[in-house]
Amino acid sequence: MATAGNDPLSQGTTISQMDEEPIIICRDMNKWFGEFHVLRDINVSVAPQEVVVIIGPSGSGKSTLIRCINRLEEHQEGQIIVDGREMGHDVRNIAAIRREIGMVFQQFNLFPHLTAIQNITLAPIRVRHRPRAEVENDAMQLLERVGIPEQAHKYPGQLSGGQQQRVAIARALAMEPKIMLFDEPTSALDPEMIKEVLDVMKELALTGMTMLVVTHEMGFAREVADRVLFMDEGRIVEQGEPEHFFERAQHPRTKLFLSQIL
Amino acid sequence: MAGRRQPRRLDRNIAYFDEPPERRPPITEVGPLAWVRANLFGSPLDTALTLLAALFLVAVCSFLLNWSIGTGNWYSIIFNLRLFLVGRVEAFMDPRITFLFLFIAVLAGVNFAAWSRIHLRLWTILAGVLLSLFVIPWLIASAIPLPPTWLAAGQREVTSGSITARPLERIAFIAGAEEEVAFRLVRPADDAELAQLTSFSDVMTNTLRNAAANRLGSAGRLATIERELAGDRLTGRQRAAHEEELGKTEVPPPVHSTYEVSAYPVLLTLLSGETGEEIFSRSLAPGEELRQTLPRDGWYVLEKRVADSDDSIALLRASGLYPIFDRSFIREGERAFQYMRATDRLLVEGGRPRDAGGADLPMLGIIDHQYRGERPLADFLRLMLGPFLGQLNLGLTLFVAFMAAAYAAAQWLRRRDREQEAPLRRVRRSAVWLWLVTIPLAFLLIAGFGEGGVLRASDPQLWGGLLLTLVLTVVALVAAFPIGILLALGRRSALPVVSAASTLYIEVFRGVPLITLLFMSMLLVQFVLPGLGGPDNAPYRVMVALILFSAAYLAEDVRGGLQSLPPGQVEAARALGLPAWRITLHITLPQALRAVIPAMVGQFISLFKDTSLVTIVGLIDLTGVANLIASQTEFQGLRRETYIFIAILYFIFSSVMSNVSRRIEASGSGAARA
Repeated sequence: MATAGNDPLSQGTTISQMDEEPIIICRDMNKWFGEFHVLRDINVSVAPQEVVVIIGPSGSGKSTLIRCINRLEEHQEGQIIVDGREMGHDVRNIAAIRREIGMVFQQFNLFPHLTAIQNITLAPIRVRHRPRAEVENDAMQLLERVGIPEQAHKYPGQLSGGQQQRVAIARALAMEPKIMLFDEPTSALDPEMIKEVLDVMKELALTGMTMLVVTHEMGFAREVADRVLFMDEGRIVEQGEPEHFFERAQHPRTKLFLSQIL
Repeated sequence: MAGRRQPRRLDRNIAYFDEPPERRPPITEVGPLAWVRANLFGSPLDTALTLLAALFLVAVCSFLLNWSIGTGNWYSIIFNLRLFLVGRVEAFMDPRITFLFLFIAVLAGVNFAAWSRIHLRLWTILAGVLLSLFVIPWLIASAIPLPPTWLAAGQREVTSGSITARPLERIAFIAGAEEEVAFRLVRPADDAELAQLTSFSDVMTNTLRNAAANRLGSAGRLATIERELAGDRLTGRQRAAHEEELGKTEVPPPVHSTYEVSAYPVLLTLLSGETGEEIFSRSLAPGEELRQTLPRDGWYVLEKRVADSDDSIALLRASGLYPIFDRSFIREGERAFQYMRATDRLLVEGGRPRDAGGADLPMLGIIDHQYRGERPLADFLRLMLGPFLGQLNLGLTLFVAFMAAAYAAAQWLRRRDREQEAPLRRVRRSAVWLWLVTIPLAFLLIAGFGEGGVLRASDPQLWGGLLLTLVLTVVALVAAFPIGILLALGRRSALPVVSAASTLYIEVFRGVPLITLLFMSMLLVQFVLPGLGGPDNAPYRVMVALILFSAAYLAEDVRGGLQSLPPGQVEAARALGLPAWRITLHITLPQALRAVIPAMVGQFISLFKDTSLVTIVGLIDLTGVANLIASQTEFQGLRRETYIFIAILYFIFSSVMSNVSRRIEASGSGAARA
């Protein structure tokens, strides 16, 4: 549609996916925590099947940005349009949007009183009202996809961090979302477990899932991302394709950040 | 490099072929000895505290034990056990309450099988305890003879202090067929022997005994004074005081000779209480013994007179005659009388012998024929412990038997399902079902409905004892539970009106003492719920107060659980698209409730104990019964025994509850399984 071409942020970058209608559009979005201006004039569009990695120093608003997209945080100005629906105060719209978006958290947030498979089947049964047997069958397939079918009947407390995060990914996928949000999915993991989670995410990207990933894993960004966004102090400072972004960053703030972490 | 000193090298190669054997640590490091050393005598302060505590414990225990064995009147418990357990409920309630009792046994058995295990060793111990409850009373009864009853005869009054007593000429007692009665005329050699008479005794014997004891006391004191005056260790003032006391102290002549105790033969006549027919009539000389086997159950009358002297008192040591408890109650519109022998609960209905004028003859009642003197251990066992255990054994055995049967059935079910993925699923499901059935079943059995039939309505005013205590606790908790959860959710609600109302409720009910609420409920509930007016419904009004009160506390417990949940739980659920009520139902509440199980059990225990306050508004719960007994004629003012008993009962129930809570916590289902 018309928005894609006029999107001010697509200026200066040539992103082929932008030809399609974006699945997420943030337009002039602003958010405050009390007096504190966390997100300033955010303009972002994400095309279907695009993998966008958001990086930036802590406190720069990365997490808040993706949490606004499924309304875990409320934005105060501007528009967020997901899959053609505008995020407003209409509860039905919010519910409909949330059904299209899966989210994976830094702290996994598995339900500790439910087994792995119960964690996965809860929402499909209770929200999508699908028959239990079918959902359980699908859940086992998801567990196989993330590589831990044998842990199906264990409680989260009995699993390692990496296994928990993979269950959390399977749980999000069970709702068959169009978009997946990852909020620092590997930050709470021991180094030897990071790879197993990243592998699952890579596999997911290859299948064409639209993904927004907040992470500090630069290797992952380089290898998988279609686009990298750099945020600082609530602004999007710079964005670009990974090769361009990591080799020839233009903004001094980006250069400084990259020089500190690479 | 040059300045560095080269270490001397020990370059011998050594191989150790003599492997040191594995040894146990020294005895002082493991086992009970090590535990004692580490925990009781770890430091000088520790040692001092241990010794102090041990001393204190020994002192308290020995005092309590001495008092229990020697003095305590435990008949107040033995004869009121029913009152303690169920209060004054109608007789038609007995089968219903028994059924409920056994149902709870089944519930316990299934629950143990579903969530825990009772090892064979524990079953063996239980069986042993139950067996001993049968064997010990039997052993005691067959090994220890019953103590005698002391009866006096004669025409002379005896005075001791302010008490003047005259022997009864005729006394009625109850006995069974084929039982033997025996009498012996005892001639005490001196006052010391008289003062040491113990066992059941009539007022007359007791007065003689007291007179003798008082005389010995005065004589002893006099001897002390005289000895001290003869010595030279007193100050002048002490000497003067002693001399004054000497002038005042008067030692009466020996009691046994004053009253010529058992100096003359006594004439005994035994009559049948119903027919007045004479069974024997004989003169009994000092030291002689008379035995007689009785023909039938029922009343007998003993006539006793000293034949040849008006000044002599005869002292009879009787066996086969024991004190009687009497009770009267209204049955089918008429007053009925029951007489029960203290030693073996032999029961006789009515038929109390009268004299020629139609008045009741004096009988061998427990009030006038109490056990006097310090009770030796043998008598404590024979009269108190044996009969008490004998009352418990049947009920406890039935309970354990039903529990064991249910446990065995559940185990069988588990073994049959052992091939399946979750072999306990069926057992657990039936345990949950049993729980769900228990509450309505208990209500049906205790309250009942309608006029006739097995389940006819019972009078709530008559509920009492442990039954009332448990009914109040369970009803208050079960009803308060959902209210408490709603209040907790309400207090955290985003809607200000709901949250303010919930907060107000919680703060008001937590801010008012329970006792005030109980008084208020007695007076105010009927305005809101007119059906609950009147004295009959007092227990229901009290329930309302207890429910409202515990709901407020439960709400705070649950709120604590809700607050302890990490916010990520709700976020994850919201991200999955779960609606708010489903998040509460499936995510927050289950976790919050598991987290607060210990707090809720604590609440349950304190509620259980707090129900004792209903005594103050006139209900006869366990504490009420203890007070009630102190107003019975036989046990006038006896509170120590009953309070000790109910304290033990409260303690047993509370510790069972906290034990269960500890098991739940340990099983891991208590805390969120993080």
